[in-house]
Amino acid sequence: MDKIRRALLGQIAKLTAGAALVPLSSIASAGINDQPPRREGDPEKRYAMLIDLRACIGCQACTVSCHIENEAPLGNFRTIVSQYEVEHEETGNTATFMLPRLCNHCETPPCVPVCPVQATFQREDGIVVVDNEACVGCAYCVQACPYDARFINEYTQTADKCTFCAHRLDVGLLPACVESCVGGARIIGDIRDPDSQISRMMKEHYDELMVLKPEMGTAPHVFYLGMDERFVSRPDAKPAIWDVRDQQGEEVGYEFSGH
Amino acid sequence: MDKNRRNFLKGAAAAGGAATFAAGYYGPLEKMGKGLVNGTSGVATADRLHGNSLAPEYSVDPKTGEVVLNPDQRIAFTVCYGCTTKCGVRVRIDNNEEKVLRVSGNPYHPLSSDEHLDESAPVLEAFQRMSSFQDQGQLNRSTACARGNAAMSQLTSDQRVLKCLKRTGPRGSNQWETIPFEQLLDEIVAGGNLFGEGEVEGLRSIRDLKTPLDSENPEYGPKSNQLLVMEATDYGRSALLKRFAFNAFGTRNYGHHGAYCGLAFRMGSGALMNDLAKNAHVKPDYANVKFALFIGTAPSQAGNPFKRQGRLLAQARTSGNMEYVLVDPALTAAASHSASDRNRWVSILPGTDTAFAMALIRWMLVNEAYAKDYLELPGNMAASKAGESGHTNATHLVIDDDNHPRAGYFLRLSDIAQAQAGADDDYPVVVNMTGDFESSEVATRGQLFVERTVETGAGPVRVRSSLFKLRQEAMRYSIEEYAEFCGIEPDVIRNLAKRFTSFGRMAAADTHGGMMSGSGFYASYSINMLNLLVGSFNQKGGVAKGGGSFNGVGAGPRYNLEDFPGKVGPKGVFLSRSRFPYEKTNEYKRRVAAGESPYPAAAPWRSLAPPILTEHLLSGLEGYPYKIKAMIGVMANPMYGQAGLTSLLEEKLKDPGNIGLYVAVDGFINETNRFADYVVPDSVMYEVWGFTGAWSGTLTKMTTACWPVVEPRQAKTAAGEPVCMDNFFIELGKRLELPGFGDNSIEGADGQMHGLNRAEDFYLRAAANIAMAGKPLPVASDEDIHASGIEALLDRIKSTVAGDEVGPVAHLYSRGGRFETMAKAYDKDKLGHAWKRPLCVYNEAVGTAIDSYSGKRLVGTPTHHAPRFWDGSLLRDHYPESEWPLLAFSFKSNLMNSYAIGLERLRMIKPYNPVLLHRNDAEKFGVRHGDTISIESPGGKVLALALVGGNVHEGALGIEHGYGHRELGAASHIIDGQERAGNPYLAAGVNINDLGFADPTRKDGTATWLENVSGASVRQGLPVRVRVVESMA
Repeated sequence: MDKIRRALLGQIAKLTAGAALVPLSSIASAGINDQPPRREGDPEKRYAMLIDLRACIGCQACTVSCHIENEAPLGNFRTIVSQYEVEHEETGNTATFMLPRLCNHCETPPCVPVCPVQATFQREDGIVVVDNEACVGCAYCVQACPYDARFINEYTQTADKCTFCAHRLDVGLLPACVESCVGGARIIGDIRDPDSQISRMMKEHYDELMVLKPEMGTAPHVFYLGMDERFVSRPDAKPAIWDVRDQQGEEVGYEFSGH
Repeated sequence: MDKNRRNFLKGAAAAGGAATFAAGYYGPLEKMGKGLVNGTSGVATADRLHGNSLAPEYSVDPKTGEVVLNPDQRIAFTVCYGCTTKCGVRVRIDNNEEKVLRVSGNPYHPLSSDEHLDESAPVLEAFQRMSSFQDQGQLNRSTACARGNAAMSQLTSDQRVLKCLKRTGPRGSNQWETIPFEQLLDEIVAGGNLFGEGEVEGLRSIRDLKTPLDSENPEYGPKSNQLLVMEATDYGRSALLKRFAFNAFGTRNYGHHGAYCGLAFRMGSGALMNDLAKNAHVKPDYANVKFALFIGTAPSQAGNPFKRQGRLLAQARTSGNMEYVLVDPALTAAASHSASDRNRWVSILPGTDTAFAMALIRWMLVNEAYAKDYLELPGNMAASKAGESGHTNATHLVIDDDNHPRAGYFLRLSDIAQAQAGADDDYPVVVNMTGDFESSEVATRGQLFVERTVETGAGPVRVRSSLFKLRQEAMRYSIEEYAEFCGIEPDVIRNLAKRFTSFGRMAAADTHGGMMSGSGFYASYSINMLNLLVGSFNQKGGVAKGGGSFNGVGAGPRYNLEDFPGKVGPKGVFLSRSRFPYEKTNEYKRRVAAGESPYPAAAPWRSLAPPILTEHLLSGLEGYPYKIKAMIGVMANPMYGQAGLTSLLEEKLKDPGNIGLYVAVDGFINETNRFADYVVPDSVMYEVWGFTGAWSGTLTKMTTACWPVVEPRQAKTAAGEPVCMDNFFIELGKRLELPGFGDNSIEGADGQMHGLNRAEDFYLRAAANIAMAGKPLPVASDEDIHASGIEALLDRIKSTVAGDEVGPVAHLYSRGGRFETMAKAYDKDKLGHAWKRPLCVYNEAVGTAIDSYSGKRLVGTPTHHAPRFWDGSLLRDHYPESEWPLLAFSFKSNLMNSYAIGLERLRMIKPYNPVLLHRNDAEKFGVRHGDTISIESPGGKVLALALVGGNVHEGALGIEHGYGHRELGAASHIIDGQERAGNPYLAAGVNINDLGFADPTRKDGTATWLENVSGASVRQGLPVRVRVVESMA
């Protein structure tokens, strides 16, 4: 792949997680901006994830374990690790950049206010969820998410997304992706508990943390350590190739595209 | 794929591997509006908010940490078959549906855990440690990887073989009928006109231990050698297979995948570690090493042990002190941009690693950048005095005169009349610091660079020290010349040498499968030499052999599983003409007697190599040294794995005239066993018994206990046991009335005899041996038994082993094995488990082995040569760069492996393998990113998609391994007249081995290109050319 264009950098101010953390101090019992009030979940907690990219080995254990744990349809992902070939700006060395992606459980989630039936909402502990009994599958939330983190589940016909494995967190277990993270990159926890591992790490690395698309003002709560700022917004990268061909030269396409 | 989708994906951000997250974005666009019109037309979810996510396996009280198990599920510890690392896993099972739900790591297990939990910790405590309680589960994780997670779909795959199959059409016609297990046994034992194609000799008749199979060459051994038994690798069950093959049936011929996996690496390492019998190897002590050079291996991308290395590497570059450089033709995930201050990728031309390593050796010797004090230690006495756990033979003197009867051997005390030849005290001689010859066990130091003439019983002779000889080899080329060979700048080489040697003994050079080239043996030997020269063996922060494993299948403390009444010792020459010098054959003697030159031999005889499957098959079908009559293959798939084999073997194997009987034992039909006459269904992962060990570099001793945590799904024997590999060999042994099987086959330590009538008769007694070894394991508590899901197993334990063994055996299974405590990993600045044998700067066995083509001795130290064929001529003499401008190589996928293509959750992330092409080469050959290209080698042609970039060395073409299948579910089969349809998506991508080709200098019929010393299949550095077939807009 060609070097990520430097021009891209000129367009994006370096907005780090620091900016994203601001709303934390102003958590209101009522909604933020046009957000409906939060409901359910533990009001004492605010869950977030820190991903230490230096420890990510790109193995996709998170992707597969999440897929199994949450019964996502084949070809749909609640989380995945994108892998890029990049050149180091100063040394010119080529290396691999791994970017695990999932729902950012934003402080001001754009997916929530657009829901016509209030099926998608934010719990008091910050986790954004979908009420499958209320969801009509209109996909407004899918469109509204700047992170492509949602999809319509072909079986349930409802919006589907990462829940930080709330069903596990609620009973004292770790999300599937965290539990299976081979390199130890994914850290989940309550950022309102100053003694939690995530709080301690965020304090230690506060100035180095970045979030995706900070300019959207969503205040994501998935924080990245070891992030290349060229990737905080969608990078200008050549795409992967998906036109699978067989040995007779016939295009066979993507196996799981039937949904 | 429709046009819209393709365009959408091209606009996505991901590149070079994993699918884009946005792939999940397409669906909703299509569904927009639909839901509003139709209402919620989907299937109602199990939970309002949590959808259909799995019910948690247990809960943990946030205040007290108390663990409460979910009664609808159980958790059991066993092994993962997802790759050959063989990690210990914890398997979640639904008790109502007997269905595996999900898998993660066994916290007691060193291959899965950050710091493995002491086995004295109760199981419920282990579960608490894996939870979010006080962040414990993420401060110290125990994981399963992507493939380990995805692999559970093997259990329920619609491509599984569940019943015994017999072919109904010609071999390879994919037509089968199902038959009862007992009929299968009857037919293969008795033989007869089994397929309407004429008489087939049965196993009963082949099992003849008395009649020589070739009266002219009695050294070939008895007729029973005409059964070849092959398996993929030891998944913990090899002991039973070998008991049948070697010690009951009495065949010499057994082979596994090693020769087309990493044998060149293993033998180069074995040469250095003085262990050509088992080819020991080392891995870096990741937690403490300060600098590592990874050459032809990429920890965290792949490799063995995969997860352990990946985890340790990630942590060492993130919170530890490690810096590393990857020398590899391909960019892999091991080169981390986010940790770019700690690591760097340097690209190299495939198959030229020897040049790079010899350049480093040259620099180190010229600049005296080696562990001088350590290398000067000549023997055990001196080493122990110096507080070292071992020594090298750097100072030992090699008799370097072809005319001397002991040419190539070390000068020993007996040569200078100071000891009896062959006596225990006949030590090698060194030159001590005062310049005198002295026993290596008397001198406290020896001189490193010696070239002298010494008077021996056989006259005066030239001797040179090992290190002197290494320097001679290293100095044959300049750094600039080595740089030219390998495509790395001279100054980059010098700087790497300087950096590597600037960390004292806390530096490591590591290699693995990248050594499967036409010069792989010496490449691996020279890379391992870097560790020897800096003195990093056995050092904390150096390189580690590891803690080894507990042996349950030997003459153990409770049961003798090694010896039995009537045990046979196999005799004769291996089919692969290995571990047997050509010079001892009758053929050699006849040629000498006839006055002709005995060289070249008719085909390679490799006296150093182990039995190698790369030669077995073609030798056995061609008949040199002899023909085989029957073959039993267990999960083996050489026709996918060995470069060039399929095109050479396929027609020969199809002909029943070449081999009468081929029985496969497997859960799936693969590229090789599709040619079988019978397929015996095997248990798959989580249904198997066995004991597996740890890969090298695992610092503590450990053994994984595997047991069927779910009931095998395949057919049962008449006795009600599952038909599987173990029960197949047991029943076959009984049917053939072989020793070691059936009643009274296993002797207890108390002299009582026990039967071997089913798998657990063997494995549970092996478990008792392990549990009772040394200080016996404690008795498992009722709580442990319940929490680890072994209640059902307990009845079988009780009915098989002695009363006092039940509790400890239950403890073993409740922890998923036996594991030495973490505290044993280190002993101050040394590793807890040292490799004690002297390390070889010069290997006597190598230096005295004779090349069966030239009749000349091999070089006993690392040496540079370009990739070559059997007659010594070079690759480029036959296939010049002008016609074959690129060198293809393979690298391990971080997702797929050679048998994982059936796992749909891996295919959905990485459906195929575009090949890596450097942008300069792409420009040269008019290839654009995404073009379909034809890749042609002297042996084959494939279609692939080009991934153009800076991700590969210029002049190289990289192929990720694991794709390009023809079977494992890709092809249709007719079973009992019904079609079982294949899935064409499983055939996507390319397999480098389809580009393999025949060694043009072999005259013995046909043979694939194999590395000369080891017989390892060459797949790194295959000459190819590319052209665009069709450009994709």
